[in-house]
Amino acid sequence: MSHPESLKKLQHTLESFLERAIGQKEQRLTVLEGINRLDDIARNELSDTTGEAVGEWFARHNHQLEQGDLRPGDIDRIGHILHEIKGGLNRNAGSPEVRKIASEIDRWEGAARRSRRSLTLKRGPELKTAEDDSISLFGKTLARASGMFLEMSAGRKHLLSVLDESLKSSEIQKNREALLLSAFIIYYLKSGGYRVEPYVKRLKEAERLQKEASSYA
Amino acid sequence: MLKPAEKAYFQALTALKDKKYEAAAELFDKAAPFFEQDKEFGIFRETTRLLVAVTEKLTKLEKEESFNIEESFSHG
Repeated sequence: MSHPESLKKLQHTLESFLERAIGQKEQRLTVLEGINRLDDIARNELSDTTGEAVGEWFARHNHQLEQGDLRPGDIDRIGHILHEIKGGLNRNAGSPEVRKIASEIDRWEGAARRSRRSLTLKRGPELKTAEDDSISLFGKTLARASGMFLEMSAGRKHLLSVLDESLKSSEIQKNREALLLSAFIIYYLKSGGYRVEPYVKRLKEAERLQKEASSYA
Repeated sequence: MLKPAEKAYFQALTALKDKKYEAAAELFDKAAPFFEQDKEFGIFRETTRLLVAVTEKLTKLEKEESFNIEESFSHG
């Protein structure tokens, strides 16, 4: 096979891989497109067409909430953006158009709250199987966190430096076990009378980053 | 509001969907400071980069080939 032929084959393989990978994210892309569009609307100064744009957004994306396509992180993001839009509308309150959008936003917020509650209620009874019952899942997580602790503590002289390492792993690698391990160490230190506020702050920030990363992926 | 990096990641995925690979590669670079540690982001970014590089190389080779053909024709 000649050099250009090899390159063409590689090009085709890469294109095909990306096409399939994106194809699997089709539904997620629709959700992200909605969030991005709403963000664009919020970024624009309030104008005569804002009401129309928000109305169109609701018409296109309301069903995603009803059908349960949105993750809790998505609902939070949309909620925040709608809240900002509503804040902007309040400055120009009075016109029927503005009142209509504000009431649409209130209605959406109510539906979002109900949807989140129903997500909890919809969950069926816990089924105990050999692999995925909560006790064995927790046991596995604990074992992984314990293994991680052994690795991180090797050669270190104080638990605080292990905590620092664990928090870095939570923040940078978005490692969930590291987050749980950090929380465990913080609680342990707190119960021993250590001042842990700066670590709690880092833990919360790491948790926020992990939530953002998982809701966007 | 979304962070600029989040918007860039979304726009990069949309560009990939539309097969605009060069634009996607640029947008992934913009999103990198926030998502660099994300494995899925890494796969999309590196695959796109490689694809753009391969396409550029192919275009270059094709131009050279057409130049050689023209040259051999002009020299009879």
